Amino acid sequence: MKRPRVSQGVSVAKAAQSLPPKLSEDLLPLFEFSNVVNAAHDLKFILGTVLLTVMGKMLVARGAVLLKRERDTFEVVAARGLGSGIEGSSVTLQTLPKIIRDPAKETKGRSRNKWFLSHDIRLLVPILSNSSVVGYLALGGRVGRKPFSAPDRKLITSLVNLSAAAVEKAVMVERLKEAHRSLDRKLQELKTLFELSKEFNLVLNADKVIRLLTFSLLGQIGVNRYAVCLVDGGTIKIVASRLSDDPALLRALQDFCDLKNPMLIREIDKKLARSAAPLKEAGVQLMIPMHVQNRTKGVILLGEKLGGSEYSKEDLEFLYSLANLAIISIENARLFQETLEKQRLEDELKIAREIQQGLLPQTLPAIGGYDLAAANVSSKQVGGDYYDVIRRSDTEYVIAIGDVSGKGTPAALLMASIQAALRALVPLLHDLPEATGRMNDLACENTGGDTFITFFWGIIDTARHQLRYVNAGHNPPFLIRKDGSVIRLQKGGLILGMMKTKRPYEEGEVELKAGDLLFLFTDGVSEAMNARGEDFTEERLESILKSVGGSPAREILQHVRMHVQEFSKGTQQSDDITMLVVNVG
Amino acid sequence: MSDFKVNHRDGEGFSVLELKGYLDAHTAPDLETTFQKLLTDKKYNIIVNCKDLTYISSAGLGVFMAYIEDVRKNRGDIKLTNMSPKVYNVFDLLGFPVLYEIYRDEHEAANKFRQQSKKG
Repeated sequence: MKRPRVSQGVSVAKAAQSLPPKLSEDLLPLFEFSNVVNAAHDLKFILGTVLLTVMGKMLVARGAVLLKRERDTFEVVAARGLGSGIEGSSVTLQTLPKIIRDPAKETKGRSRNKWFLSHDIRLLVPILSNSSVVGYLALGGRVGRKPFSAPDRKLITSLVNLSAAAVEKAVMVERLKEAHRSLDRKLQELKTLFELSKEFNLVLNADKVIRLLTFSLLGQIGVNRYAVCLVDGGTIKIVASRLSDDPALLRALQDFCDLKNPMLIREIDKKLARSAAPLKEAGVQLMIPMHVQNRTKGVILLGEKLGGSEYSKEDLEFLYSLANLAIISIENARLFQETLEKQRLEDELKIAREIQQGLLPQTLPAIGGYDLAAANVSSKQVGGDYYDVIRRSDTEYVIAIGDVSGKGTPAALLMASIQAALRALVPLLHDLPEATGRMNDLACENTGGDTFITFFWGIIDTARHQLRYVNAGHNPPFLIRKDGSVIRLQKGGLILGMMKTKRPYEEGEVELKAGDLLFLFTDGVSEAMNARGEDFTEERLESILKSVGGSPAREILQHVRMHVQEFSKGTQQSDDITMLVVNVG
Repeated sequence: MSDFKVNHRDGEGFSVLELKGYLDAHTAPDLETTFQKLLTDKKYNIIVNCKDLTYISSAGLGVFMAYIEDVRKNRGDIKLTNMSPKVYNVFDLLGFPVLYEIYRDEHEAANKFRQQSKKG
């Protein structure tokens, strides 16, 4: 509204008519004043105009306008001659009579006000709207100490009354502006939440979610001291921080692992005050829990707000929403990474299994008069088990079994190199201990001394009916005679891969007789565990082998396997199970 | 996807970042990268020209907050210019004008940097 409405003009004219004739000279300026004041929406401008007009007319050098803000709190919205910095300050006033002369002296008791005294206020005129006080015009003494006469006071009252409607309108505009701004802010908060929920869904990386979360905290609240902490397995760790890296802070946080609600440090209860002391010291003012299905998965620590204002209830609500939104994405990202990792491990194991299966002989060569069978059952983890039977000549066959420490692809690859060495050595083989020494040196070079291979190999000579062998730290194979006597094939030396060969390996030699059972195995058999955590044991294996003597090799194999399975029922196979059975014909 | 671009050019004694498009949670990392580079290159007098910035969200403001301290610690500043009323409104709502100097145009901001360097 740029121009005053006609009706207001009329009301001004009416007001003028009601004035005593003595004041008629003031009518024109009054009309002008009313026009100016009513056309404006700016409270400060209106009140400033009222104040200056009155001060000019009455020759007063000091004056102020107080506007009611709360019950008895008034704000100094305009002031002249009272020193700088007074505008915007607040004054507490009890409701005062309609017009007060010399309020510093006249008002008694509780109404006696220091503010009036200190500013030497001589006249106080209420600003009325719908007959309730919305503010006061406060004036100091007149130049020349002239008192305010009755007509003077009447004129001042008229001027003030003329502006009351405008003041009220301006106050309304001010409130509307405030409401509008608060709505704007709310809208901004909602926009932030909406935007982040969209963005968080796109991001499957916890670090990036946390980064975006901190940007939004910085931007929306304007804090520059903060930390984001995640709770994992009952302990809390700081994942992003702009607080001091004092370890006391982290220790203090442990007490807030299951924070249920946003908590202002200044309102913390006594029980937790001790725990919170290092937080307070670090400048933390607010803690916001991050919840997933009612479980605290994280905590956000926040320092002072931009401009130093206190956190409002709305701030807490917004931050709590933001925190919960973020933690869901952080959790999702974590689960996604876990799944990826699991998938990667599984892929790796699949490769390891393929390598291992590729190393094992597809078919065993037939050894004249002998009956052979072998099996490898790889565990989920894939150990590094290996066995082999290689024909050297019509009467000579190399049998071998090995187990690499460690699991997965590295174990499988090491076994592959051992197999390659073995296959290369077999045609040239004449000295088994010397060849074992060379394999050991090769293994040492390949592993750097942190991976070992237990290894047993031997040459079956069908013409001489004998087995020559070297056992490099492997579970000693069983040789079970027809009469039930048992020989363990132990001779040899150190595990392969531990240290370079210094002492030559020893060679063992046994006679092979028709009806003998030769049983090679890995510790996956003897150390198979039952649900109570007990080992299968070599003793148990021995007694089983004794009981099945004379059966075909395949049956013996199946029999042992069945027993192991029965024994370890209800548990997960933790190591590869490898067996090689030779029935001497 | 929202569109956002940062153009970086150097003036005499200051660097200018021209922002274009939507600065929100999605594009905030782009601005962050630019700030990181400026700090690595020890360019601490930064004018951010918002002439073509159509939208800024709190995540975008967060980037300014994240770097202002480092910049000022090195006796530099981030000064903002040519803000549209819409963008200014967001700044104002969140109380940022107390923290940042905002100028009508690059020229004013550049003058301010020059005065400060004379004093400093």
